[in-house]
Amino acid sequence: MATDWPTSRLEVLNEEPLVVKNPKTWFHIHSYGGWGKFFKGLREKKLLATRCTNPKCEEKRLWLPPRTECPDCWHDMEWVEAPQQGTIYTFSTVKYPGELFKLPAGTHLISVELPGVCTKPMSWLKEGEPQFGMKIKAVFNTERPTNTILDLAWVPA
Amino acid sequence: MIKFGPGNLRIPKFERPVYVVAGGLTDFRKRYPEKNTCQLCNEALRMAVEENDLKVDPEQYRRMVNWCVYSQFADHFGDQLLAAAKIHDYLGFDPLGNVEVKTGGATGGTSVLAAAQAIASGYADCVPVVGWERMDEVTTKVGNSYIASAACKDFESELGWMYAAYYALMAKRYQYENNVPRETLAKIACKNHEYAYYSPFSQNPGKYTVKEVLENEIVSDPLSYLECCVMSVGAAVLLLADEKTAYKLTDTPIRLAAICGGSHTLRTADRRHMPILLLPNENESTYKDYYGVRRKEWPGFSSFLAARMAAYLAYNMAGIKDPVEDFDVLETHDAFTISDVQTYEDIGLRPYGRGREFIESGDAYFGGRLPTNLSGGLIGTMHAVGATGVFQLVEILWQLQGKYDKFHGDPKLWQRYGKTKPADWRSLQVKNPKRGCAISHAGTGSHVTCAILERP
Repeated sequence: MATDWPTSRLEVLNEEPLVVKNPKTWFHIHSYGGWGKFFKGLREKKLLATRCTNPKCEEKRLWLPPRTECPDCWHDMEWVEAPQQGTIYTFSTVKYPGELFKLPAGTHLISVELPGVCTKPMSWLKEGEPQFGMKIKAVFNTERPTNTILDLAWVPA
Repeated sequence: MIKFGPGNLRIPKFERPVYVVAGGLTDFRKRYPEKNTCQLCNEALRMAVEENDLKVDPEQYRRMVNWCVYSQFADHFGDQLLAAAKIHDYLGFDPLGNVEVKTGGATGGTSVLAAAQAIASGYADCVPVVGWERMDEVTTKVGNSYIASAACKDFESELGWMYAAYYALMAKRYQYENNVPRETLAKIACKNHEYAYYSPFSQNPGKYTVKEVLENEIVSDPLSYLECCVMSVGAAVLLLADEKTAYKLTDTPIRLAAICGGSHTLRTADRRHMPILLLPNENESTYKDYYGVRRKEWPGFSSFLAARMAAYLAYNMAGIKDPVEDFDVLETHDAFTISDVQTYEDIGLRPYGRGREFIESGDAYFGGRLPTNLSGGLIGTMHAVGATGVFQLVEILWQLQGKYDKFHGDPKLWQRYGKTKPADWRSLQVKNPKRGCAISHAGTGSHVTCAILERP
């Protein structure tokens, strides 16, 4: 039996030193696991957070991004709808995003403060110019969901 | 975790003293196709062993090594899993045992911590730490998305795929809470680019004015390009040993008085309010007029609990009472100008809310009370991530050994890297320094180590 040389090749970009182009074309199969409920909730315009079910746990507030186990007591959490109105805690306009960003350069990133929530989730402002303490409300990408955190955004309330 | 239990704040101790004896670097470049990663690590190791006035020859050193620590941030960049095995082989250290450490941007600091733990426990006597990163196989935009893979991929990375943006969110909040002028942040960039100008290893040297930094193109508002760290290729090596071995290797070993680590949530978003962990130079009254007045929570987005934790442990381990008084030289992880100001407060150079004064007073400059990032830091000289924390300690070591000029002022070293020593080069050797500190930092503060080197 004789085996022929491969037909695909690496493109040579430079001879001295020898530099070749090494393509990467595959994808990752990623499971959101126990957090999938949050992303599916976005399709139904629900902002799903979690709360510790341990009556002895001191952290009574909601977690958003959700966690399925409480980091303070390792107890199970329950799913609860978080408020959809909050304020801008901080913001930045990203002029030079990384390669995989699905939104245009110039998008306003924000961190959101929500009543009764112990975290300040990072998100983006879909309309308007961000200001500290600005009142905002959640909007959801239900038409063509990306199935990422980008399906949640905020607009002035 | 948010409330400390009795075991959580135990001060670490070494079972026996740990010493740092020598260091080696490559130069750092945006792209380095001339040398593969094995060659770069070999070059840094050879500088450490052959150019640090050791009392043994390279072959004798190789025969003394009994454990190795490897420091690389991202397999993505190198596109070689188990890269440490390859480097270890090419450096000629197999079949000795080794470990590769990964804690993001703090990988270098944590690698030195791992080496120190091996020596302090008696597991090993003689340990090289080899750090590197090869960030030039991809475009800068892809590189930024690789780095942003070190944010939370489920809830954060998609928001920009850009770490500078995550720091920009903190910068905005810090400015809002503490009213720090943009000019002060820009001064940090000017300082570190200038110090990089005196280093043959540096990637992005330059003498910039505050105006030039402020008018430079914005990466993510408010941070400009000149306020962000470089993306580098290069390697750094630090040689550690127990006391007996250290004096066999050199007459001028430097004691590693402490190296300690802290951590905090990967997402800045998840940082809940807690009471401030006080450093030896602070007390309850330090903050009585601060919280509830100018700022409602700590650490929030303006402070790094991981840095505070690492400094708390290291200062108590080494007996540091006041860092500005007790240290003579400092290297911070100046990934961005804003994170530098935040760190000044976390490690107690100024109380929270007054970090700007460390720059504005002149303390941070050569000739000031605590010269900081005389190496040029991450903004001016290098951020080949796995090498960075190692590089910082190499520079501190050389300062404490009085070797700044040997490794920065020799025209032949400049020529080695294809550069010409500037006619207006000046020595940044601190006069008779006794003690130095280096802060190695990951993520938006997910891991931080604080190392303290001291002349015995």
